[in-house]
Amino acid sequence: MASMIAESKYMFHVLLHPFDGFYAVKSTRSRNYTLPTIILLICGLTGILGYQYTGFILNYNPLFAMNSIMLFITTLIPFLLFMISNWSVTTLFDGNGTMGDIYVVMTYALVPKLIFDIIGIILSNTIIQEEAALLHAFVVIGTIWFYFLVFCGLCVIHEYSPLTNVVTLIVTFISAIMIVFLAILYFMLVSKVIGFVYSVVIEWMKR
Amino acid sequence: MKYKWAIIFAFILGMMLPSASAFAANTFESNYTYDFWGNSQKSLPAFELVNQVDGSSLGDIPLGSVDDVFVSSDRIFLVDSTESRVDVFDRDLKFLLSIKLIRDDAGKIIVNPDTNQQLMLNKPGGVYFSEALNELYIADTEAERIVVLSGSNYAFKRSIEKPANMVGVTQFKPSKVIVDKDGQISVVVQGSYEGIIQLNSDGTFARYFGLNKPKVNVVDYFWKSIASSQQKQKMKKIFAPSFNNITFDSEGLIYATTFDASAQNKVFRFNSKGENVLLQNGYWPVIGDLHSFGITDKKSQFVDIAVSDFGVYALLDKTKGRVFLYNFEGDLMNIFGSNGNLKGDLKDPTAIAWAGDRLIVTDKQFSTAYLYQPTEFGQIALDAEKQYFNGKWEAAGKDYEQTLHQNANYDIAYTGVGRNYLMRDKYEDAMYYFELGNSRGYYSKAYNGYRNLFIQHHFVWLIIPFLLVAFALFYSEFRYNKRNS
Repeated sequence: MASMIAESKYMFHVLLHPFDGFYAVKSTRSRNYTLPTIILLICGLTGILGYQYTGFILNYNPLFAMNSIMLFITTLIPFLLFMISNWSVTTLFDGNGTMGDIYVVMTYALVPKLIFDIIGIILSNTIIQEEAALLHAFVVIGTIWFYFLVFCGLCVIHEYSPLTNVVTLIVTFISAIMIVFLAILYFMLVSKVIGFVYSVVIEWMKR
Repeated sequence: MKYKWAIIFAFILGMMLPSASAFAANTFESNYTYDFWGNSQKSLPAFELVNQVDGSSLGDIPLGSVDDVFVSSDRIFLVDSTESRVDVFDRDLKFLLSIKLIRDDAGKIIVNPDTNQQLMLNKPGGVYFSEALNELYIADTEAERIVVLSGSNYAFKRSIEKPANMVGVTQFKPSKVIVDKDGQISVVVQGSYEGIIQLNSDGTFARYFGLNKPKVNVVDYFWKSIASSQQKQKMKKIFAPSFNNITFDSEGLIYATTFDASAQNKVFRFNSKGENVLLQNGYWPVIGDLHSFGITDKKSQFVDIAVSDFGVYALLDKTKGRVFLYNFEGDLMNIFGSNGNLKGDLKDPTAIAWAGDRLIVTDKQFSTAYLYQPTEFGQIALDAEKQYFNGKWEAAGKDYEQTLHQNANYDIAYTGVGRNYLMRDKYEDAMYYFELGNSRGYYSKAYNGYRNLFIQHHFVWLIIPFLLVAFALFYSEFRYNKRNS
């Protein structure tokens, strides 16, 4: 527990000093995945909270059709997808970061975004339509911070120059699309096979 | 062990496949309405069939078809283009007379001296009775003219042929005609891409009227933008979609409909410049049915529009034989009617008109005119709109509350009730109803009032933390300076 508190203290140091911080995370400090996993779970939870508890004025979600498990998964899938595709790209591009490094960078970077998002959810219940733009601008601060941290962190752990990092990020994006494409292909194939087996079983039973 | 995990994994993946969905509930229920989320919800019909005009109503005279209907203060005019006739009924649907041969004031049939032919209607398509001028205008489509008769004895007054100064390529085949208080005539020609023809009261051409924008295809737009002018000449031209029906509202503005699939809008309310100023503040734009299933299922095609004195307009849909009722803000109020062969069903709907609070819907193929009267629910809903349109907020709020007792799926009434509470500064009640009515704009207004009151009442509790923080800041500064000095 005490180590967790120390870890979180260090995490907030990383948020303000990303280059030094992420370098220490990668090379000198002992690796512990509890805190990153907790952050990731909180991220999924924030997705659910945002769906349900965003103020009525800004909330265009059909609450009667809410499925919190699906929300949890759909919030996390982009990040996991990014992790996998970034790892698979950077291994080809001579990146030095491991999957674990990317995981830590991404989850630590998520923290400001989550903080701003949660404050945004709370504030959205106290605003009127005219103030929505201000709230949006406020929440965007967290998102920009998140992008900045991810960019810095990836630079550090892969030991890339910024330009190489941009290139790998573009390739990461493309490869993410390919992963999604293959996944859809796979699911369609599986559903075809299941459909085939199902019809064979029906055929056999009604023979 | 490895296989076991593979099987479990495959099972989980299989469970994640989307289930097949069925839309049966959306198609078989004819009395439905659309909620904020675009789902169809069951609803009471606002109108019910009470009476009809068919072949038997006219005695021995055959009724070929009914193509247009106009309701004046004491008469109903039905146009029969198959038999080239205009039939006149009183407001109780009792047959008065029919006009086929045009007579003069003395009651003699008019004969054209040149051709020695009787002056006779030739497949008329529309009729309009002008109360202000006491004149009956018949759009005599095949004869390419508008015949003007006296409103009291139906004697021939004049006929308006194609004006000599008319420009453009539109053929002068008037299909629908309306006349405003000053005698300015607006004519719809089916298939004309130049707009509504407007004629001065003396029959001279004034202008083409009304802007009907076609949908823009992104691919076409791209190719057109890089094509040379020679290439452009060879390309297929995109014409403005044509209007197919027009009517006036109580303020004298022209409403028009189009069922051309290439048009951006389906319903128009024109200002004097010919721009569309129709309010579409409802949950959905004024397009009739939201969903169409499969390739064979077409979207709603409006053949006629009827606008009441209090802004509620009824749209007649050819695709599914439905009548869509909208209020002047563009909220969908009700949907009723259906396609079919039963009594009250429509096959080829042609026209719709208000007769007081009643609606007359005509069908070409069945050659009938149906008279619909409001149901209990429909009457209250109409009353609520009437009160709201006339600025009687209090009464409107009560009527909206009544409609909710009849039909809890009538979502716009929640907004109506909430609006009444908002006017009376009862913010919490207003917010409750606006949330039910999914009306975020009004909710924001009510919440603004509620928040102001909240801050006023709890000002002390809100200001104390600020004061404490400010005090702590000053105190720490004070101590810091003191220690240093």
